[in-house]
Amino acid sequence: MHGNLALRWVAWLSIALVAMLLPRFALAAEGSAQQQAERQIVQPLNNAPLWRDVRKGENPYQTTQVRGIETNVLVQTEGQIWREIRNGPVTVYGGYLLVLAALAILGYYLWKGPIKVHGQLTGRKIRRLSPWDRTIHWTVGISWLIMALSGLVMLFGKYFALPVLGYTLFSWLAILSKNLHNFVGPVFLIAAALMFITYLARNMPAAHDIRWLLKGGGMLTGEHVPSGFFNAGEKVVFWLGLFLFTIVVGASGLVQLFPNFDQGRVVMQYSNVIHAVTAVVYIAMMLGHIYLGTVGVEGAYDAMRYDGMVDEAWAKEHHEYWYNEVKGQSTAAGGAASPARAAAMKEGWKL
Amino acid sequence: MRRILVVAMAVVLPLVAGGCGEKPTVTVYKQGKYQGKPDTQPWDNERFKGDKVAWEKAVKARNLGQNEYERVIAH
Amino acid sequence: MARMKFLADAERCIECNGCVTACKQEHEIPWGVNRRRVVTLNDGTPGEKSISVACMHCSDAPCMAVCPVDVFYKTSEGIVLHDKDLCIGCGYCFYACPFGAPQFPQDGAFGLRGKMDKCTFCAGGPEPDFSDAEFKKYGRNRIAEGKLPACAEMCSTKALLGGDGDVIADIYRRRVTTRGKGSEVWGWGTAYGRPEKPPAQPGAKS
Repeated sequence: MHGNLALRWVAWLSIALVAMLLPRFALAAEGSAQQQAERQIVQPLNNAPLWRDVRKGENPYQTTQVRGIETNVLVQTEGQIWREIRNGPVTVYGGYLLVLAALAILGYYLWKGPIKVHGQLTGRKIRRLSPWDRTIHWTVGISWLIMALSGLVMLFGKYFALPVLGYTLFSWLAILSKNLHNFVGPVFLIAAALMFITYLARNMPAAHDIRWLLKGGGMLTGEHVPSGFFNAGEKVVFWLGLFLFTIVVGASGLVQLFPNFDQGRVVMQYSNVIHAVTAVVYIAMMLGHIYLGTVGVEGAYDAMRYDGMVDEAWAKEHHEYWYNEVKGQSTAAGGAASPARAAAMKEGWKL
Repeated sequence: MRRILVVAMAVVLPLVAGGCGEKPTVTVYKQGKYQGKPDTQPWDNERFKGDKVAWEKAVKARNLGQNEYERVIAH
Repeated sequence: MARMKFLADAERCIECNGCVTACKQEHEIPWGVNRRRVVTLNDGTPGEKSISVACMHCSDAPCMAVCPVDVFYKTSEGIVLHDKDLCIGCGYCFYACPFGAPQFPQDGAFGLRGKMDKCTFCAGGPEPDFSDAEFKKYGRNRIAEGKLPACAEMCSTKALLGGDGDVIADIYRRRVTTRGKGSEVWGWGTAYGRPEKPPAQPGAKS
């Protein structure tokens, strides 16, 4: 009962406070010190202009002896909004997105299975990727994986790993994750920049990419769709993932990684939300790339992993324009292939 | 390979699905722990030896001591 | 059970920073960490006001909600405490806190954050009461000594009250009725306006 009384008292005070604040709400923050000074003469003990400033947190005459970021701000209401966004939509829909992406891939795998090379392997190998191509790919790939896994631990770990591991063990995992995230982050960004330069020329959009995209790479129909060195799906990963998402995630991450530059909390909150949303979409997209690069397309992983060489049959099946280029032919024969052969061919949509 | 993938997915998906929603921080003090962190009640130490009433009395006295009206007039 | 709260009276605060000093001294807080601070509005003009602010031990604490490793816990007195051993130093509690309470000793390259430190309402931490480990990490445990926070207890003008929310509200009410005006309880709407989370212990009197 006593608690109720106190609560009623607080409620009464709040109402009084709001009533005092409302008529003055439209006034600008400038001159609030002067307003407060005038108010003190007209109505001593009426601090309405002052409390308005406290709420806004923008009073230029708000000072403190404690040094630090925004130490003169009394109340920042943005934190609560950030909490609701991060713990709400970002976590919930982000989680759904990742689960659905994984389910979609699993469903595709169970439905279609891995995309195999049709017809006989020739045994004749052609060079597709140089040692540098592969080195930079795996530098980006491994650092990306570390970033993704450690990031997932920090966003979702509390919900699925903490109940399993317990506080102490999960804390170790999270400390490891956070430090890996902090120190591998810059490595990833530099490697991604180098990878961008390395692969840029091979990812320039071409007219046949639109045809490829419209047909979905023949991924669902099994139709053969010829493509250049990289198909349009791979180019989407390059431009959307390696280029756009990396820049967004990198910039928003660096803002949070270096609190040394006195950026305020609001900047950090925005960065955090942008970082988390982009990263979740990035991860969902790259799940597709990882699937197609490992079990999804036969022969794709070996080329990137071991020697950069691919079989001629593989090259003709997956990247026919490029194959023709290498073989010194000027035009593609893919569209003119015999019906029997076309039916036998399944184009790999390597994302 | 195929079976491994299916099993791996079956393990990972429920864990991932568990990540949806704000975790309720609802736990109460039991057996020396608050929300899983070990901490004792403030009267469970050599000072108060588990005497909750004595602790409450001590805190209450300090609490009322902040009321200078009472302090000046009554004492 | 008492629900511990802080109450800062802007009409009385004279910006002596005694609470800040008391806090630093009581807990031997390292340089650069400020569990409590005094903010002055309109310094130097008539009607300037000062307010002492620290962790308010919110009823539905945003820091608890956003912590990725769940370091926070709330005692049956409503005091929000944290386990420094679990803290990863991500700074999310600092983003979320309305009062700017969480502090991070910067102790490494890249502005790497150390373990978070904040006002404990002088209630220590998870370590055994009065142990060296508790003092080193969290400062003195005055609550377990049957005392209240040092800042509030030594406040010379009693502008800062700390303790059972009902009792200090009573003290404040009497003060307001006596002086006629200045009834604003600063920060209480933000800190205690939402329902208690986690809920108070069943069986405890409210």
